[in-house]
Amino acid sequence: MMLCYKAWRESRTRFLVSALTLAGFCCAFVLYHHDARTGIGDQSASYAGYIWHITYKSYLRDLFVLLALLLGAGGLLRERSYRTSAFTLALPQTRWRLVSVRAAVGMAELGMLSLLPALVIVSLSPLIHESYPLMQALKFSVLWTICGTFIFMIGFLSSVIFDGEYTASLVGFFALLLYSAVVDLPAVERYVGDIHDIMSGAGMPYFRQDAFVLAGPLPWSTLANILLVSLVMAAFAGVITRRQDF
Amino acid sequence: MMLWHKAWRETRTRFLVSAVALVAFSAAIVLAQVPIREHAAALPGFRSGPSYSLHIYNFVYSGLLKTAFIWMIFFLGLGGLPREQAQGTAGFTLALPVSRLRLVSVRMAVGLAELTALALAPALIIPALSLAIHQYYPLSEALHFSVLWIICGTTIYAMTFLFSAMLGGEYTALVVSIVVFFVLDLIVSLAPLQPYRLKLLHIISEFGTMRWDAQHLVLSSGPLPWARLAIFSVASVAMLWTAVRVTQRQNF
Repeated sequence: MMLCYKAWRESRTRFLVSALTLAGFCCAFVLYHHDARTGIGDQSASYAGYIWHITYKSYLRDLFVLLALLLGAGGLLRERSYRTSAFTLALPQTRWRLVSVRAAVGMAELGMLSLLPALVIVSLSPLIHESYPLMQALKFSVLWTICGTFIFMIGFLSSVIFDGEYTASLVGFFALLLYSAVVDLPAVERYVGDIHDIMSGAGMPYFRQDAFVLAGPLPWSTLANILLVSLVMAAFAGVITRRQDF
Repeated sequence: MMLWHKAWRETRTRFLVSAVALVAFSAAIVLAQVPIREHAAALPGFRSGPSYSLHIYNFVYSGLLKTAFIWMIFFLGLGGLPREQAQGTAGFTLALPVSRLRLVSVRMAVGLAELTALALAPALIIPALSLAIHQYYPLSEALHFSVLWIICGTTIYAMTFLFSAMLGGEYTALVVSIVVFFVLDLIVSLAPLQPYRLKLLHIISEFGTMRWDAQHLVLSSGPLPWARLAIFSVASVAMLWTAVRVTQRQNF
């Protein structure tokens, strides 16, 4: 329990700033939809199309991806720079447990961030005499949680490899950018899914572009694969941490 | 001289990682242009064609490399006395026989020099590597975008620099800077402000102002948007000056 509290204390500022930001953006998107629709979205699109475009496809999703990456930062290497790692390592816990608790807290925070757009948009839409289906929003939350976990793990893994202040986050960002570029290559895209498209549904068989809605069941096998890769990355981070000489 | 060395030591990892990534991405976009363009041509809604300059514009100045450059600037601006205080080293820095103004201005100058070097890197690499694959990209066009990257990049740098002078948490300044950047981008995209075309992401990539030549082979930009760049420069100076004043007034 104490380890969970420690991980929460270390990441809570980032999490709370992220949560406030995502909630604030969702409020603004709904309450100022007239201005935002003219300026950013397609003015002729339906309300569902506008919400999908600005929230689930581009604007908020881009921000969510960056925040997920930054949530993965921290860990023992950073503590070593502050000369506090000895206190953490003196706790009667294995390094494996230290890493897994930090990963679990990060994933829980990510799950909460993913749910925010669903809660805010669905509950505020009636105020402007519009509606957005709760099930649609929750389906997107599931996609964001699982794909966000993969992005979080990129930041998490780089935080156990790279030592310097901000270096891990910067390398994690470049790794994500490299992944985004490589996954679009013809030889690769046949075998590896593009996490950004999976999150937004753009061009995916489970998304109806004409109505901007997720139709049919979610791609559970793809999501299971992404989750599996994320867990392998977490395990890899644990193995690296166990072998570190401090 | 020692202050310059200190500022360089503090930022060199971030700068070198960014420079390596920028050079590698630039080289890959030029050297792998054939498969990239073939694939891009098959994508629905993607503007592609026989023009090499369109390929460079799509992937360097309007796409992947521009995104990479913008985010690396966020990282370059981080650091400063509040971070040193959190690490317990601010006392050593403040014991140096120099004013806080000088401490901040040297760190600022080193950061801006690094930013300029990063902005100029594609202008040197892309025209040179293009010749190696028997293609041509005008140096003047590359330098045009470098100027845009320097001035718009300075605005982002100044914002991060300001927040890192105010906030001590390791990632707080970074997260707040990213959030404020998104908020400002949203505000200038709203309908009432849209006619003023102040969206930094559009200005840095000359979005909507690029023109084809008569043969429809070379995509080139018009004159630099000096009025908007002047607005960004004034905002940058104001933010950097505020960062200096905040640092001078801090109680440590």
